[in-house]
Amino acid sequence: MSKKILLKNVHNQGQATFDGYVNSGGLLGLKKALKKDPKEVIEEVKNSGLRGRGGAGFPTGVKWGFVPRDTGKPVYLICNADESEPGTFKDRVIMERDPFLMIEGMIIAAYALGSSLSFIYVRGEYSYPYIKTLEAIKEAYSKGMLGKNILGSNFSHEMVLHRGAGAYICGEETGLINSLEGKKGQPRIKPPFPAVKGLYGCPTCVNNVETLAVLPFIFSEGWEAYAALGTEKSKGTKLISASGHINKPGVYEIELGYPLKEFLEVECGGVWKGRKLKAVIPGGSSVPVLRADEIEKVNLDYESLRDAGTMLGSGGFIVLDETADMVEVARNLAHFYAHESCGQCTPCREGGHWVEKVFTRISKGRGVPGDMELVDSMCSQIAGHTICPFGDALVTPAQSLMKKFPEEFKDRILNGSKSTNPLNYELGH
Amino acid sequence: MSETVNLTIDGKALSVPKGTNLIEAAKKLGILIPHYCYHPDLSIAGNCRMCQVAVKGAPKLTIACNTQVTEGMEVATNSKEVKDAQSATLEFILINHPLDCTVCDQAGHCKLQDYHFEYNAKPSRFLEEKEHKPKAVPLGPTVMLDGERCIMCTRCIRFCDEVTKTSELGMLNRGDRSVISINPGRELDNPLSGSVVDLCPVGALTHRNWRFNSRIWFTKQVDSVCPGCSTGCNVKVAVRDKQVVQVKARYNSNVNKEWLCDEGRYGFHRFLPETRVLEPLINGKVASLDEALTKASKMFDDKTAIFLSPDLLFEEFSLISKFIETLPVKPFTCVQYKKRELSEVEKILVSPDYAANFKSAQNFGLASEDPSTQYIEGIAKLKEGSFSSVWIIGDRGIEEVEGISLPVNSVGFFTNAENNLKPGIVLPARSILEKSGLYLNKDLRLQFIDRLIDFPSNTEPEWRLINKIAEKRGKKLTDAQSDRDLTLSVLNPEISIFTLKEQGGVRI
Amino acid sequence: MTDKKFDVCEKRAEEIIAQYPDKHSAVMPLLYLVQEQSGCITEEGILWVSGKIDMAPVHVREVATFYTMYYKKPVGRFHFQVCRTLSCALRGARDVTGYLKERFGLEPGEVSLNGLWSYEEVECLGSCGTAPMCQVNDTFFENLTVEKLGRIVDRIEAKKPNLKLSVLRDEMGDGLQGNPKSEVI
Repeated sequence: MSKKILLKNVHNQGQATFDGYVNSGGLLGLKKALKKDPKEVIEEVKNSGLRGRGGAGFPTGVKWGFVPRDTGKPVYLICNADESEPGTFKDRVIMERDPFLMIEGMIIAAYALGSSLSFIYVRGEYSYPYIKTLEAIKEAYSKGMLGKNILGSNFSHEMVLHRGAGAYICGEETGLINSLEGKKGQPRIKPPFPAVKGLYGCPTCVNNVETLAVLPFIFSEGWEAYAALGTEKSKGTKLISASGHINKPGVYEIELGYPLKEFLEVECGGVWKGRKLKAVIPGGSSVPVLRADEIEKVNLDYESLRDAGTMLGSGGFIVLDETADMVEVARNLAHFYAHESCGQCTPCREGGHWVEKVFTRISKGRGVPGDMELVDSMCSQIAGHTICPFGDALVTPAQSLMKKFPEEFKDRILNGSKSTNPLNYELGH
Repeated sequence: MSETVNLTIDGKALSVPKGTNLIEAAKKLGILIPHYCYHPDLSIAGNCRMCQVAVKGAPKLTIACNTQVTEGMEVATNSKEVKDAQSATLEFILINHPLDCTVCDQAGHCKLQDYHFEYNAKPSRFLEEKEHKPKAVPLGPTVMLDGERCIMCTRCIRFCDEVTKTSELGMLNRGDRSVISINPGRELDNPLSGSVVDLCPVGALTHRNWRFNSRIWFTKQVDSVCPGCSTGCNVKVAVRDKQVVQVKARYNSNVNKEWLCDEGRYGFHRFLPETRVLEPLINGKVASLDEALTKASKMFDDKTAIFLSPDLLFEEFSLISKFIETLPVKPFTCVQYKKRELSEVEKILVSPDYAANFKSAQNFGLASEDPSTQYIEGIAKLKEGSFSSVWIIGDRGIEEVEGISLPVNSVGFFTNAENNLKPGIVLPARSILEKSGLYLNKDLRLQFIDRLIDFPSNTEPEWRLINKIAEKRGKKLTDAQSDRDLTLSVLNPEISIFTLKEQGGVRI
Repeated sequence: MTDKKFDVCEKRAEEIIAQYPDKHSAVMPLLYLVQEQSGCITEEGILWVSGKIDMAPVHVREVATFYTMYYKKPVGRFHFQVCRTLSCALRGARDVTGYLKERFGLEPGEVSLNGLWSYEEVECLGSCGTAPMCQVNDTFFENLTVEKLGRIVDRIEAKKPNLKLSVLRDEMGDGLQGNPKSEVI
């Protein structure tokens, strides 16, 4: 285990209050950043090597660089707190326990982008994180951390907390923007990109909670200190949400490059009930699954996971033990994606449900030879053919589970044995 | 001149103005990129995914509707990858479609059928049960929805949001439970509501008036222009057994785009009277045409008035103006013109009149710059008894009845036997739906109207009646034997009927 | 058409609308107000929101039907939403729903005759590390076992705590006030 940046103070009493936050070293980064030129702030974030922690892993400083400041229109910053990728629950910890860290990071980002109004879009189900963040924002205003002339500087900034209402797709940045504008959370076609034409048609930058929460460290300790962590291309630390068949589920902060197997055995306390490992989905439900025999040399960073054929994604680390029925896992996730499809574009709206229906048929012992090929060909026509990356997200688990565990699917199709697995339950659909 | 961009589509080079999208660029080469949600006059939705094409250098297929041309771009609309995507998109669209073509009004002019035949034509691999959605849902007085046939292109919603700005329609729910709907208590009843049926590429929206009227392949479809007002909206009219079965907007970017008002669309048949004047009448008694014409030809004196219907053809106004020049005393003329108040939505399309071709009358000096006042004056004088000879050319030459008594020397060119004005001589004329010729719209755009319906024998177009009267007075005006001959005689040689049809009219 | 029911929300609605550069952005919080007042999204509520922010009623309805947290029909005073997605399913979500089905004698979506109980299965609630879990109104109950859930239902039945987040007052109900351990009431 290594240096903690994001979770350093989450266990402190009173960390979610302004005084508690300042006592634990808060606001230092913001004070330093406000003394720099915004261009310099962007440059230092580029130098730090920070990459977007929402899932795409795009360099944050570069993303900020796309936002024009001379259009005469306001620039908006949006904090994406719509954490809804199955297996991911890391941002919640920051919002519940150290919300000022996120707020400080947002003010730094807003200063760099020249934004005077920002929004936090928190998923509707996160009532408790919502309330804690709301209390923090109110206190921040009362203590001069938000509003006019922040901390005595020339920079003024307003912040609005917006609560979603239950839609996975609002985690996609243009879906989020549409939702925030009062529309259905259906993603927009690109171009134009949000950096140029986002919220209310103005230049907009959307960053994940975890990404923003890193910024106070980068400016209090210096970008060099951040860049010194992690691997050559995956700098810094990452929050990993560990869940599934393990002894110690929870949110852990690791230095990027940390060995996956060590994380599973040490932090997660190993596979539960003394069972054997079957598979790991390392980056949230939308990334390809790794079989137990594939994890030996893999490290938790962008490049190592990519080389292993999967992704770091949002860091949703789901562990499956030897009892997991992969047909049911596929069905469970297909159900999720079918339910969450926004319904806008054809391949995802129709294809997503079709995938689910075929998996359901297979799981109930009514599969027919050719079903796997059918799903595979559907998936290859969904991926890359949709308005937003949801299409790719929905086909990835379906295709990778069939590819990595073909014998389980074949067996169910040929033998038609009705599943007795705990995942096979019929309620709700 | 705006900046142009050079590119190739399927290996063919072309230059188009900067900002053109790939669907429009391909059209210029005669290449159809299939699409459902794209419409040139609505915002880009990009949701149907039917128009995906391959652009060299792009990592994946791109939708043509949302891709603007760039210099040196190389586009393929028929590569294997593109064809596979088109085929897959159709398979996806059709999995929940009820495939009820046998009872669907859209069958025969349905983009799902056409595209399936052209781009997929494979049996479905879908073995599951289809999603069920509400069917035969009235959205308002004019339009019926079949939720299962809908492919969620949202053209109808965008029309109501962006064109009429009345926002009656929305897409509820999400995923494959999505369905087009109104909010209870606010129907789709704006004055252009029927346009959403034209915009619907499939059979999800149908006209309540015309449901199950006729299979489209049993109808004759004719390109025409709506005679409802001086906008001159372009229409395609389906006709069967001398009846109007359906009216569709015909795209004309300079006139009506692809919109049409409900009054014009659903009232198209109003130009065909139920009871026809089929024989000449003299004082209410059947007479021979020759006798009636001979008698009429003598009814010109120094107090003659000619009331013209605004439905007459450009050519007819031309002929009438020539005829007037042969008369010893210039008669009073006016075109029947009433102003109308328009709602905000009507103003998008409708002109503030019921006078489709009054501009032609003005063009030939038969109506003044202020046709409304002139007509009111004419009627006042008529009531005062200032005219000793009155000619009403076309049923709608005079619309008032109250307080009007025609002098003995009066002639009406009528189609409607129930016209309450009873002139001394009635001549059997033709409805505008039974003639072909030219209309001049409010923007001075000359457009060609084709004959929709076969005329009854014994009736004559107004121009021929005028010509015969002129002949009786010793001055034949034209040698034209048919509507078409007459049209060609008034057209400038550089403009052909073909040009008029191809270009959606010509400004004069 | 405005219903008297929403008079108490007027002031709060104005505050919410004023936060945004465009009042259409207020549609979601206003729909929460409607739900807080009426228990679910009602027709009058849609018209009230529509009037407040000048948005066509059908577009307000689109929003209300797009998001799962707006109830389109009445639910029980205590509405249990059990997460059914992968991490919860791996750790026994099926037992949680099974227990509720048996205890309440209801199918998902049905409301008990006394109006207290209803339940349904929902997709990932972002509590995978404390699976299985369920949400009762706006309050999470995590690391569930059937025994623990039984005790929770017993206590809710006895105390009838307020487990809702109030948009009107911007606070959690007394059932959770100031308590970071969401499984304790």
